[in-house]
Amino acid sequence: MAKEARIVSSAGTLPSMHGGAATMSTAPVEIERPDVGTDDRDLPAPDVPWVVIVWNDPVNLMTYVTWVFQHLFGYPRAQATKLMLDVHHKGRAVVANGPRERCESDVARLHAYGLWATMQQDR
Amino acid sequence: MSREPFVATPGGGVEVHLRHDVITMLGELCDQLEELVKTRPPTDAAVARLYPPAYPDDPLRELEFERMTADDLASGRRSALDRMRATLRARVLGSEDADAWLRTLNDIRLVIGGRLEVTEESVPEDFAADEIAADTFAIYGLLGELQWLLLLAIDPAADEPPEELR
Repeated sequence: MAKEARIVSSAGTLPSMHGGAATMSTAPVEIERPDVGTDDRDLPAPDVPWVVIVWNDPVNLMTYVTWVFQHLFGYPRAQATKLMLDVHHKGRAVVANGPRERCESDVARLHAYGLWATMQQDR
Repeated sequence: MSREPFVATPGGGVEVHLRHDVITMLGELCDQLEELVKTRPPTDAAVARLYPPAYPDDPLRELEFERMTADDLASGRRSALDRMRATLRARVLGSEDADAWLRTLNDIRLVIGGRLEVTEESVPEDFAADEIAADTFAIYGLLGELQWLLLLAIDPAADEPPEELR
C-alpha cells in the first residue's frame, strides 16, 4: 500500500459512516500456509468454511484500506487497522470467513471498493 | 489548492474547497474512467485491476463469479462516478457523496497506477524522463492526497494508530 505523509491536520466532528454495516461475529484469523493450487473442486469438503483474503497492492492508501474494512464489515478501528497492517507487512490478511455465498458477496463488495480480494477454502 | 480542501461540518457533511482547475481535472478524469468502465477494453491490464479475480486458481468458479457480479460491479462504479461528477461543484458533500468520491478517486488511482506500473517505492524521479508520465504521476499523487484529506475530514482520527497498536 502507499504510505502518505501528513500534510495538514483536520479538525471537526466525526460523522458515523458505519451505522448500516453488518458486523462479523467472529474475528478473522491470520493463516500462513502455501498456496493450495487448483484442486478445490475435487475434494468433497462442503462444510469447510471459506476465507476472504485481501492482498497488498502498491496503490491503495493505508488509511483508505482501514476505512473500507470499517465501512464494509463494521470492524472497530483497532481491528480494521490491524488487518490493514497485516496486508501491508505480510502481503495479505484474512478479513472475513463463512459459507461460500457470503464470502462471494464480501469479495464482490471489496472489489467494488477497489481492494484486491480473493477467496479460498480454509483447510 | 486551499490549505484544507475538505472540512467536516457539524451536520456530518464535508465542505469542499477545491480550485476550479482541480475540479475541471477531476471531471475529465471521471469522464475517462466512465469510458473505461463502459468499454472495459479486454486487453488493458490497468483496467483489469478494477476487476480482480475472486478465484484466481479456479477458472470455472471464476467464470461463474464474473457472470454473477460483473454487471453490478460495473454499474456500481458508474453510479459512484456519476455521483462524484454531479457533486463536483457542491459546497457540502453528504456521507453518500463522500463515499462515491472515495471510491471513484480510488478507481482512477488504480487505473493510473496500473498504467505507470507504480510500486510502493515510486518517486517522481522515476518518471522524469517522460513528460506525460511525469505529469500523470503528479496527478496520481494529487488524487492520493485528496483521497487522504477526504478520509481525514470524515474521520479526523483516521491516521492515528489506535490505542491497542501503539
